[in-house]
Amino acid sequence: MSLLVHLALIGYAAAAAVFSVWLIRPRAALPLVGRVLLLAGLCAHLGSLAGAWHGRQVLSLLVAATVAGYLALDWLYRLPVAGAFVAPIVVAAMVPAHLISSAAHPAGARSAALTVHVVSSTLGTAALALAFGLALVYLGGERQLKGKHPGRLSARLPSLDAIDRIGWKLVAWGFVLLSAAIATGRLVSPFALGPKQGFALAAWALLALLVQARLVAGWRGRRAALLVVGGFALLAGSLVALLASRGVAPAGGA
Amino acid sequence: MAPTFVDVGLSHKQAPIAVRERLAVPKDELPARLDALRSIAGVREAMLVSTCNRIEIFAVAEGANAGAELAASLGPLASPHAVVRNGDEAVRHLFRVAASLDSMVIGEAQILGQVKEAAALAKSTGAAGPLLDRALSRAVAAARRVRTETAIGRGAVSLSSVAVELARKVLGDLAGRTALLIGAGEMATLAARELQGAGVRELLVANRSMAHAAELARQIGGVAVSLQDLPALLERADVAVTSTGSIEPVVTRAMMAQAVKARRFRPVFLIDLAVPRNVEPSANEVENVYVYDLDDLERVAAQNRDLRGGELGRAEAIVEEELRTFLAAQRERSGVPVLARLRQRAQSIAEGEVERALATLGPLSDRQAKSVRAMAAAIVNKLLHAPTQRLRDEAGGPLGTAAAELFDLREDDGARERAG
Repeated sequence: MSLLVHLALIGYAAAAAVFSVWLIRPRAALPLVGRVLLLAGLCAHLGSLAGAWHGRQVLSLLVAATVAGYLALDWLYRLPVAGAFVAPIVVAAMVPAHLISSAAHPAGARSAALTVHVVSSTLGTAALALAFGLALVYLGGERQLKGKHPGRLSARLPSLDAIDRIGWKLVAWGFVLLSAAIATGRLVSPFALGPKQGFALAAWALLALLVQARLVAGWRGRRAALLVVGGFALLAGSLVALLASRGVAPAGGA
Repeated sequence: MAPTFVDVGLSHKQAPIAVRERLAVPKDELPARLDALRSIAGVREAMLVSTCNRIEIFAVAEGANAGAELAASLGPLASPHAVVRNGDEAVRHLFRVAASLDSMVIGEAQILGQVKEAAALAKSTGAAGPLLDRALSRAVAAARRVRTETAIGRGAVSLSSVAVELARKVLGDLAGRTALLIGAGEMATLAARELQGAGVRELLVANRSMAHAAELARQIGGVAVSLQDLPALLERADVAVTSTGSIEPVVTRAMMAQAVKARRFRPVFLIDLAVPRNVEPSANEVENVYVYDLDDLERVAAQNRDLRGGELGRAEAIVEEELRTFLAAQRERSGVPVLARLRQRAQSIAEGEVERALATLGPLSDRQAKSVRAMAAAIVNKLLHAPTQRLRDEAGGPLGTAAAELFDLREDDGARERAG
């Protein structure tokens, strides 16, 4: 891993620590410190990607997109509490993202379909990672309010309704992007059908169910959050399958 | 035994709402309950405070069993929870209750009005007498000082405002939302004001009596609706506040399950301010339905107490100061009869002995007889000087009782001696 990647990782890890401390001790300055650290980490991260981009850095790009997505959401809705959930996920994803070996590329790697596939799957997964973080926040807050013990978590949360609405927007975008990724994936490698594709399809089906249920029957709240958690878990399975298929070894250069 | 203050009761601190709601005394039954209390042996004066959060009997009684008998009058359901306080502790509790230091939400203003209302009823029915009256006057004065001299009431959040804050945690901004008030009592009015302050767009008022609903709706700028349309109203409302006097749940779990489905799972926040509860507790288990009753709101309100710790200390100090003043005056008042009886007894004995001596000594001049009488009075005065001082200084204390026992002074001494 390059120096910039190391700096990005340090920035993300420090932000995760700061957001976690803020959950316990709500000092007003901490969310700002967390945001600055995340932004600094993101700059270093993007710098590393721009300096030596190659196709196998998809997972790393996904992490950067997730961080950028979170910072955008935080700027729009003031969601520091989500930072406490998203930042550790980002840190956990960074290490495997930079250990992917330069295994074989699918045929037509430079084709437009592949570009669309990479971009849409990266952005879609990032959106769903954020929706997953918000779903966890929602479930924690809902548990406290239903249990009649609103504690530190719910004191720092926006309303459950707001979390639900933001999560729904992310799911809707994530679903559209994932649909595009799956469609273009068939073009990139028409005959591939392995665990990666299986997990991705299962996640897509679950999200399709959620989108359908939300639009038709108005599903929201707890059951929607649980479906998002399930959907993201399947998507994570798809990523793990991707890592496994490429072998885990230092990628270098990034 | 001299009459003493007794308090028997339970509050949100001792008993859960499930118990309190079954012990609450409806207003129209209060006079009969006060009569029943007065009929208990040894009970001279009594008043009964029954609110959503407490049921308390403040009494003046004599006899060791009065407290136990008053506690028994609350019924077996109350027994495991009821607290009996005697003497100064009972008065202290009355002062603290009136000053809202024992309330669910410390510093809230409603309890003082409720105590005054209970006192007025007890007085009008003849259940309360001079002792309770004096204690209540002082308790009210202490409560007013607490409100004016500390900021405890300023930072105090009413249960309604706690509830509205929780509703915001679920629903977010309440502007543009629809709220439904079920019941048109005082609590509903307070809640309505809070909701209006939070920007609620539409306030629907449902009540068993359409006239009351219309009146409240007129006051708060809401719309009176029929309670018969409750299922449809619950579908419309984002927040519902219940405060009816019904002893059966008005809002059931089944109604909420149906309403939420019809609302396409949009969340609903139910605030149950009634005792007995108006909302079936299991309604909280329905997805996207949040039910908070008075006990739940207390838990949240308790978080505010720490913030006002300094003001609480000042309020407690004021109550203690007023309590000391009251108890000292009370002791002086109760000590005076012992002193008076002691002096009366001594003078009566001296006068009797002087008359007997004068009869034995034979004819004396007026001046001589006057000297003998003056000597006897001087002996009585000198002998009683120190005891009088001590009894005045420790008015109402154990010395008064000891003196009464030592000299066999009974309350009817004066009358007996006057008759004799």
